[in-house]
Amino acid sequence: MTDADDVENLMRERLANPFLVLAVAPSASAAEIERQGQRLLAELAAGLDGARRYETPLGMRERTSELVRSAIAELRDPARRLGHEWWARGLAAAVAV
Amino acid sequence: MTFGSGIHVGIDLGTSNSAIALFDGESVSVVANAAGETLTPSVVRIDGRGGRTVGRRAHRALDGDPANTRAEWKRLMGTAERLPFAAAGAALLPEELSAAVIASLLADVRDAAGFTPRAAVISTPALFELPQNHATARAGRLAGLEEVVLIQEPIASAIAAGWRADQEKDRKDTWLVFDLGGGTLDVSLLETDDGRLRVVDHAGDNFLGGKDIDGALVEWAAGALARRGGGDLRADRATARGRRMLARLRAACEQAKIELSRAERASIVVPDAEGDGQPDAGELEITRGDLEALTEPFIARSLAAVRVLLAKNQRGADDVARVVLVGGPTLMPGLRARVGELFGGRIAAGVDPMTIVARGAALYAGSVGLDATPAARAPAPAAGLPVRIEHPSVTADLEPFVVGRCLPGAGQTLPERVRIEREGDDGGWAGADAALSPEGSFVLQVRLERSRRNRFAVRAFDRGGAEVALATGAFAIVHGVSIGDPPLARAIGIARADDTTRVYFAKGTPLPARRTFAHHTVRPIAARSDDDALAVPIVQGESMRAHRNRLIGMLQLRGVERDLPAGSRIEVTLEIDRSGQLATRADVPGTGQTFQDVAFVLVPTASVETAERELGATNRRAAEVQRRTFQLGIPAAVQAIADVSAVLADADRALPAARAGDADAAQKLHRLLMDANNALDDAEALLEWPDLDAEARRCKLTYTPMVAQWGTPAEQQLYEQELEAAGAARQRNDAADLELHLDAMRALGRAAYCRDPHSMADAIDWAAAHVTEAMDVAAAASLLDRARALQAQNPFADGAGGGLRALRAIVAEIWELFPSSPELQARSFDSGIR
Repeated sequence: MTDADDVENLMRERLANPFLVLAVAPSASAAEIERQGQRLLAELAAGLDGARRYETPLGMRERTSELVRSAIAELRDPARRLGHEWWARGLAAAVAV
Repeated sequence: MTFGSGIHVGIDLGTSNSAIALFDGESVSVVANAAGETLTPSVVRIDGRGGRTVGRRAHRALDGDPANTRAEWKRLMGTAERLPFAAAGAALLPEELSAAVIASLLADVRDAAGFTPRAAVISTPALFELPQNHATARAGRLAGLEEVVLIQEPIASAIAAGWRADQEKDRKDTWLVFDLGGGTLDVSLLETDDGRLRVVDHAGDNFLGGKDIDGALVEWAAGALARRGGGDLRADRATARGRRMLARLRAACEQAKIELSRAERASIVVPDAEGDGQPDAGELEITRGDLEALTEPFIARSLAAVRVLLAKNQRGADDVARVVLVGGPTLMPGLRARVGELFGGRIAAGVDPMTIVARGAALYAGSVGLDATPAARAPAPAAGLPVRIEHPSVTADLEPFVVGRCLPGAGQTLPERVRIEREGDDGGWAGADAALSPEGSFVLQVRLERSRRNRFAVRAFDRGGAEVALATGAFAIVHGVSIGDPPLARAIGIARADDTTRVYFAKGTPLPARRTFAHHTVRPIAARSDDDALAVPIVQGESMRAHRNRLIGMLQLRGVERDLPAGSRIEVTLEIDRSGQLATRADVPGTGQTFQDVAFVLVPTASVETAERELGATNRRAAEVQRRTFQLGIPAAVQAIADVSAVLADADRALPAARAGDADAAQKLHRLLMDANNALDDAEALLEWPDLDAEARRCKLTYTPMVAQWGTPAEQQLYEQELEAAGAARQRNDAADLELHLDAMRALGRAAYCRDPHSMADAIDWAAAHVTEAMDVAAAASLLDRARALQAQNPFADGAGGGLRALRAIVAEIWELFPSSPELQARSFDSGIR
C-alpha cells in the first residue's frame, strides 16, 4: 500500500488549485485572473525569485509556468472555475480546522 | 519574447491543398507559390531518377503517372505505412511526403520574402492523436524547421475569423467553426468573452471529407458511363490503364464539382489520352441538383455531428452568433445552404475558406512570439546594459504588465529607475516608471491602444538622473484576441498494474504541460539485466480503466544498477510541448537512476486479415452489449450504442477496398473498428454504473469512520470535500468523475487506516497468512519478522509514537509486495507500476 504517496499525489493535485497558484481570490474577475496570470508568466520568465513559490494552506509549493498557464486555462472555463472555487474555499477551511 | 521586427509563419498542411501565410504584427498575407497560386496541392511525384516534384506540377501527373505520384496521405500520418514510388524504387513515410510539401512552401517564402523560415506553426485536425501530431512535427523538422508549434485547425480558423473582431463590444459570443477538409470534418464550438477566445468543445469525423464526396461522384459517373455501354471503368482497376482512366475520371469529376459551385450544370469529360486507339470514355452532364442528391448523405452526417456537439454542450443553433465555414467542400452552394438553414443564415462573411487556417496559424505564431526570421536565431549583440523584457505578444488586456530584469555585465551597474513610454503617443498616456528592485527587476503596467500594434521604448536612469544606454530598448504588444494555449485533445496518463489510469493531463489541459506523480513498482527488477524490464505504459483517453484507453508510448525501466525490490518508489514525469512532442522520465530514488527513452507507439496498421477478424469480434461484442443494454434498460447506454451499427456497416463497406490493397481503406477500417469499440466501451461503462454506485456507497461506509478517527484535520477536510464531490458525480451519473473521487477517498481512507493500531495488527495477520503469494517471499518474510518483533514491544504504549511509526512503515512495505492480479496487469498493457 502506498498511502503516504497516494495522499501526496492527491495533495499535488488539490494544492495546484488555480486560485492558489495565481494568488487571487475565488471572487476575482476574469480580467483580473488573466492579468495576474500574464504577470506571473512574465515574472517567471524573467527569473524573479518571488514568483517561484506560492502559498497554500499546507505550506509553500513550487510555482512553474506550466502551472500558471494551466490555472489560467482552467479558470477560463466557467464550469471548471466553479469546481475550483469550491475546492479553494474548502482548502482554506482545512487550515482553519 | 520581443515582437518588434519578427515575421511569423503559419502552415496549413491540408489533405488536398496546403498554404503558408506570414504575419508581420500588423497584417497577414498568404504567400503565393511559383505558379502564382495561394494553394499548393499536397501532391508529390518522384521520377525514375529520384527527382521530386511537389504541388501543381505533381498534381498534373496524378492521372498520367499514378504509380509515381502520391496524394491524400494525411489520414495515414503517424502510421508506418510507406507509400511506394515505382520508378524510383522508393517508399516514403507519410511524414516524409508532408516534409516535401512543407519544404516547397518554405521555398515559396524564401522567393517572396527573401528568407527561409526557421520556425512555423503547423495546423493539425482537432481529432489527431498524439502519434499523428508527433509525425506532423517531425515532418516540419525534416523540412528544415528548427522550431515547430502545432495548432488545431479549428482554433486557427477561429483566430483568423475573430481576429480584432468584437473587441469594441466587450461581449460574450458563441461561434461554430465548421471545417470540412479533403479528408476530415472538424466542428468546434468557441466562445469569445471580452476579447478572450476559448475552445468550448469539438467533435468531428476523421473519415468524412471532400474525398468521400469525390468518391461518390466518381461512382455515379462511372456507373452512368457504364450504363451508356462505354464499359465499366471500375471493373478495370487491376490494370494500369484502368487505374489511369479512373484517375482521369476523378480529376474530371473534381473539376465539375468546382464548376457547380458557380454554375447550375457542368460537363464531366473523360478524354482518352492513351493514344492507343481506344475510344474516349465519354462525356456526361451533371446538374447542381444531381450533385446535391449525391452529397446529401455526407451533408446529413456532417450536420448530425454539429447537432451532437451543440446538444452535448447544452446549446441550440440559436445560441450560435456566427458560423465560420472552412475548407474547399464548404464552397458547395448546397452545403452552405443547409448550414445556413440550421443557423438562420448567420455565416461569417469575408472569410476565405481555403486560406483561413494558414492565416490563423500565422496569427497564432505571432501570439506565442515564434519568430521565423534568421535574426531570431542569433540576434546581433547590442551595446548597452542587457535587459530582459517579458510581456504578452498579443493580449486583450488594455493594461497588461511588463516585467523586466537588468542583467549587468562586468563593469556595469544597475540603474536606479526605468521608464516605459509608448511610441507615437498622442498624449493619451503619460508612460510609467518604477524604481528597480535590489535584484534589478521592475514590474510596470502599460496602457494599450485598442486593436493595434503598440510599440514601447524602455529608458533607464542612474541616481543622478542621467540616462543609461540599454541593449534592448524597444518592444511591441498587439492589442487583439487573447488566445489561450492549445488544449490537449484527449487525456494522457499512465496505466497502472491494477488496470486504473493515473491521469496526468486531463482533456483540455493547455500545452505545454508537465506533471510528476509518485508510483511504486509491483515486482522486483534484477540488476544489470537487459531482459528484465519494467513497463510504464503511457495511454491516451478518458477512461479510468486503463485498458479502455489507447496505448501511445512505453517507457521501459531496464538495466537498473542494483536489484530493485518490489514496492520501490519511482517518480514519473510526463511533459508535452506545443508541438505535441511527449517526453517521459522516470526517476528511481533508490538507485539514483533516470530512465527516459520512450518507445512511441505508431497508429496501428493492422493487417487486413487481423482487421477482418476484429470486425467479426466487434460485431459479436456489439450484439452482446446490445442484449445487456436492453436487458438492463439503461437509456444512456442505448444512446451510446446508437451509432455502432452504422459504424460497423461503414467498416463492412471499407473491407473490399482494404482487401484490394488500399492502405487508406485499411486505415479507415481500423479507425472505424476503434470508434465502434470506444462506443461499446462507453456503453459497458454505463452498464457497470450500478456496480460503481454500490462501490461508492461501500467506500463511504468503510472510509468515513476511519478518516474521522485517524485522519489528520487537513485529511478530514479534504475527505469531506471528496465525499461531497463524489456525491455530486453520483447525482450527475458521471462515472469518470466518480471514479476519480473514489480513488481520492480510498487514498485518504487507507492513510487513516494505517494509523489505526488494530488495523495494523489485522494487516500483519493477513500478510502472514498470504506470505507465499508475495512477489518477493523472502523479503516479505523478513519484513514480517521485523513487524512481529516490533509488535512484541507493544509500540502502542510508546508515548512519542516512534515505534508505531516504524511499524507503520514496515506494514506499508509489506503491502507493496503483494501483486495486482495477473489478469488486471495484462489488461493494463503489462504495467509494472501502481
